[in-house]
Amino acid sequence: MNRRTFWGFTLPSVFVMATLMVVPLVATIWLSMNQLFLRDINNPSFIGLDNYREVLGDEEFWAAARFTLVFVAITVPVQMLMGLGVALLLDTVERVRAIYLAALLLPFIVTPVVGTLIYKDLFDRGGLVAWLWEVISGDPFIVTASNVKWLIIVQAIWHVMPFAMVTFFAGLQTLPGSRVEAASIDGASYFRQLWHVTLPHLRVLILFVALVSIMDAYRVYDSVFVFAGSRFTEAHTLQVYTVEVAVDPQIGRVGKGNAIGVLNVIGIFVVLIPFLVISYKDQIRERH
Amino acid sequence: MNNRNFVSRLGVHSVLLVLVVWSVVPFLWAFQTSIKFTRDVAAKTPVLWGYETTANAYNAFWFKDDEINMFSVLYFIVAVFLIAVVIGQIGKRVTVGWPWFTGVFVFLAFSLWIFPRIFEVDNNYQFFINSLVVTVLTVLISISIGLLAGYGLARYTGISGALILVVALAFRALPRSAFVLPYFFGAKRIDQWLENTGIAEWDFPLIDFPLIDEFGIFDSRLAIVISLVAINQPFTIWMLRTFFMDVPREMEEAAMMDGATRFEAFRKVIIPIMWPGIIATALFTMLLAYNEFLFVRLLATTNWTLPVAIVSLTGGESSRTITEGAAASVSITMPIVFVILLFQKHLVKGLGAGAVKG
Repeated sequence: MNRRTFWGFTLPSVFVMATLMVVPLVATIWLSMNQLFLRDINNPSFIGLDNYREVLGDEEFWAAARFTLVFVAITVPVQMLMGLGVALLLDTVERVRAIYLAALLLPFIVTPVVGTLIYKDLFDRGGLVAWLWEVISGDPFIVTASNVKWLIIVQAIWHVMPFAMVTFFAGLQTLPGSRVEAASIDGASYFRQLWHVTLPHLRVLILFVALVSIMDAYRVYDSVFVFAGSRFTEAHTLQVYTVEVAVDPQIGRVGKGNAIGVLNVIGIFVVLIPFLVISYKDQIRERH
Repeated sequence: MNNRNFVSRLGVHSVLLVLVVWSVVPFLWAFQTSIKFTRDVAAKTPVLWGYETTANAYNAFWFKDDEINMFSVLYFIVAVFLIAVVIGQIGKRVTVGWPWFTGVFVFLAFSLWIFPRIFEVDNNYQFFINSLVVTVLTVLISISIGLLAGYGLARYTGISGALILVVALAFRALPRSAFVLPYFFGAKRIDQWLENTGIAEWDFPLIDFPLIDEFGIFDSRLAIVISLVAINQPFTIWMLRTFFMDVPREMEEAAMMDGATRFEAFRKVIIPIMWPGIIATALFTMLLAYNEFLFVRLLATTNWTLPVAIVSLTGGESSRTITEGAAASVSITMPIVFVILLFQKHLVKGLGAGAVKG
């Protein structure tokens, strides 16, 4: 395909991404250097890096950053290990596999806001888990600022685990049976087989799921918004904190919100640059 | 049959069953909350069975009038469903290729239009229609431009192709907060301009929102669709490109030898064998559009889609909002569950294929 045809095909998409992603990103950076209030949105005044100085000295920002990191560090590995385990189990089942898959996929396809709401109902007064807790421990279960973080983490694992599961499961379907047989004829135990045959086969998928899960966990918004809302501001993640700062109806500080937005971008790129470099090298290699 | 084998299989199934319970219990709980009377929901010890059922919560969420007979609504939905199936089946036999789908589509659109003229609906019905319009438009636009770009990127070997892909991947990683505030800001600015130039007085039926009189970007479906298309584009082109990579070049080269242009070959030879990939990508785009919360929350103040409408129900702790919230949750989940069950195979395959080389 020559260059002109290539651009003919790609231009609409590139145009959309350029105008609606690159331009807003540049606008974010520009707005982050302005003082700008929501109620007076037409009068930005340039203040240089003052917003950044303020954000970096802000305890709430660091609390949100810490919780976001904890959230990523717990949910990503747990959900990947669980997903891998369930995929391996599913692979051994033949007959009712479709039913298991459908039931296990349910938390993944449900609207995140709704998934959080129905999860929260279990823990609220009169909910199933709250009641079981009271029966077992004798104390009523109350959602507090300290345990709400755990509820958010558990709900996130519930919500995202099926993604890892289905991806790994699909990968297992492409594992040639002959290799597994060869290994078991050689007398390899199940776990040696898993380590030397199955996991290497899934290597690319594991990287892919890790990459996507880190991206998505880092920008979690919906479930935290529903769970913590304005009641438990301690449990805010970076995204929720950013939006709350910017669009608070009384003192919405759009400039400061954008500064946090830019810091969020820097944060995720620090994590992702190695992945992007690998991906770029792959692309170049493909072309030779 | 050896004993050890049986025990290990029993073990596998019991672990899977526990996981199924962990996945499904919140849904079952929400469902049974939605059909309870508020007094049973408020009970200190949950009433797990033997309670009286009611459709009051659904009534409260969807309709203005409390006296509506929910059975007639149910009959309406079942009838629409059956007629749609019949039209689809007839169309499939009479027409060649996919045009059979248009009949079903027109009929479903008609039913959605006639429904509020038979039953007196609440605003939530309008939010539901918004959700549908936004989802359908986002999927159509995203997939159309994504198909072109995905094909180009799969076939072109120049460096700019690699650059576009990596930059798209980087944008896929960006948090929403990096874009959403400029959208908000930009939409308000554009609206001021529209008002100053008088364009705001014009009439645009599909784009414009029926509840507001003036044409504007802020608080319109247009803004939501455009932003969703944009933020999903990186994902769409990556996934579709992976599917195109599986199509051998010889396919279109043969067609081009026969005198077809590149675009004709793309449209008549490549697209027909791409359907599984298109469906898988469309399913994910559909989920992203139907489930979007943050953009809609910020870009619409009154004219929401369902996820935002539902969150407004969660403010209080009274039993009434709990049952109504549960009914809303069940209602909003039904359509996606239905679609996903129809296309589950494509979804699983798509995740595998899209990921293996991604």
